[in-house]
Amino acid sequence: MQNKILISMIYLAAFCWSFFNPEQAWAAQSHGGIEGVYAHQFAHLFFIISMGSLIYWLRQRGLVQERGWKYIQYSALFFILWNIDTMTVHFLDDQFNIIQVEKIDAWQIQLNDIFNNNHIKILYYFATLDHLLCVPAIFFLYIGLKHLLKQPGGDAARDRR
Amino acid sequence: MILSTIPIFLVDILGSIFMIIFSFLCLLLAHELRSRDQNNVMGTYLLWLCYGLTGFAISRSVGHILKQILFMSEQPRVWNVIRPYSGAINSLMFVLVGSVTLFFERIWIVYQQISKDKKALQFAHEELIFLNQTLEQRVAERTKELALSEHKYRRIFEVSKDMILVANKNGLIVDLNPVGRDILGCQNADVSLNGRSFQEFFANQAHWNQILHTIEARGSISNFEADLQPRDGMTIRSLISGSLDKGPLDEEDTIHFLVKDIGQKRLMEKQMAQAEKLASIGQLSAGIAHEINNPLGIILGYSQLLLKNEGNEKERQDDLRTIVKHARNCKLIVEDLLNFAREPEPKKSFIDIHGVIDEVLNFMQHHSDLEKTQIIREFDPSVPPIELDEKQIKQVFTNLIMNAQHAVGNNGTIKVTTKFNPADSELLINVIDTGCGIEKKNLSRIFDPFFTTKPTGKGTGLGLSVSYGVVKNHGGDILVESEPGRGSTFTVVLPVESEAV
Repeated sequence: MQNKILISMIYLAAFCWSFFNPEQAWAAQSHGGIEGVYAHQFAHLFFIISMGSLIYWLRQRGLVQERGWKYIQYSALFFILWNIDTMTVHFLDDQFNIIQVEKIDAWQIQLNDIFNNNHIKILYYFATLDHLLCVPAIFFLYIGLKHLLKQPGGDAARDRR
Repeated sequence: MILSTIPIFLVDILGSIFMIIFSFLCLLLAHELRSRDQNNVMGTYLLWLCYGLTGFAISRSVGHILKQILFMSEQPRVWNVIRPYSGAINSLMFVLVGSVTLFFERIWIVYQQISKDKKALQFAHEELIFLNQTLEQRVAERTKELALSEHKYRRIFEVSKDMILVANKNGLIVDLNPVGRDILGCQNADVSLNGRSFQEFFANQAHWNQILHTIEARGSISNFEADLQPRDGMTIRSLISGSLDKGPLDEEDTIHFLVKDIGQKRLMEKQMAQAEKLASIGQLSAGIAHEINNPLGIILGYSQLLLKNEGNEKERQDDLRTIVKHARNCKLIVEDLLNFAREPEPKKSFIDIHGVIDEVLNFMQHHSDLEKTQIIREFDPSVPPIELDEKQIKQVFTNLIMNAQHAVGNNGTIKVTTKFNPADSELLINVIDTGCGIEKKNLSRIFDPFFTTKPTGKGTGLGLSVSYGVVKNHGGDILVESEPGRGSTFTVVLPVESEAV
């Protein structure tokens, strides 16, 4: 009984001390802006893995012998390329701030990089033209779906393995 | 490094527009693909992929277009507000598309397994349908076969000339074919066999017990001779075979009887035995007659010689005349015997049988007591001339009519009828009397030589024997039916040559 009272007293003293003498708790981690970039980069990576998995899966089951699935495979490939492209862009500007873009006027920009390397600037410049990869990717998906629709009975899920 | 933003602007704007357009087109196609086959899991995947990509295309492309517009309108701060939302939605869409793709692979494997099971089930279902259809077909064929078989055996049962009787183990009749009904006197459908036992139709109950005992012991019985008595005064000699049929499942055991009426067969056998007996007697008689004939001739010759040379002594002449008379009688008997036994070849010619019968009847009416007897003639006018030995046939009818006259005595009727049967090419001549009839025990002996029921000296017992021999020699037959006290019917059956017909 005496032990119980003693333990209760200790807990009460600890509570009063912590209540009247507050400090930073570190209970939840705060996030700076860079974490969103990382999350976005991981999302791209996840997209790449899933598209790679789709290509592997289509090829393994022999579905790519059909024209529709062959185009969908190309679509996945272009999406992978697009993801790599956009990851590169995010890597260079948002993630590590290697490239800084300054607007000179309405139709001109100035690119600076921390290594003062023109190759990086040119790479970045062309990498920003990512629609040259994602538009073909979705176009191939469109063509692939059209071909699948042309198949008799819409037998899109025929497993050739 | 200073670079132009025009390519970036153009690619961004046009690319964004194309992305939105193609993503919606893809969504439409995927939707169509999915609606074509709701159960197609691949269509479901493509639809979700397109949903994700459309969401991605909208968020990103709209973001990019806004970005270009805001930058051009010198409002980068607004873009900085929108940018995180656009990026976050893009990230979500990537995750959605990636998740759909990655998880879908797993789902696909499950789907494949389900499809495989579905195919197996479908195959099993088709197999079952096939088996079911085959079963129905087999059942139909089997039913048809059974119906045919039932019909076939039913026909055997129905048209059998022998009695087929099904009884239970106690002898109660379960089924009986039409011939059986006829034999047992139950031919009318009204006559019920319910509760009637086969046993009650046996003349001798010991026979039934013996049959039942044998069937119980051995399971069957073959060719057992027994007399059946369907009704009083009628006995049918039968050959009975039977076997025990173990009833299927809980059905009662039954005994199947096959009963042959062998009365006719027995009669024929008797007739054959009679014929053989007569033939044997004939041979014996012929031998004896031949041996007696010569001494008789000598006795008659010498007697006549002595009579011729005898003087006027009356007493000796009478004695010799008596010897001659009896010797002649003996000679006639011997000649009759020889006629019966030797079966001399008949001298046939086409004759009118009615003329022959009339001649005999007229002769008999004038030379015996026949004028007191009523004579009825019923002649069939269609009777053609028949090839016969006239002399021998006259003797046959003389014997038959004489016998009839003796049977009717002074008061009675003799009826002579003829009937031509073209189907069998035979002529039936009946000599019917209303006399005393013949006792049953004598019926089988009336054609025996020397058998007579007349008083001594009234008949030799050779008349019917000789008639029998003559008719047989003509390829015919003599039948007799008689009932004591009511008269007799002798039927002479003579074959009619086709030429005459």
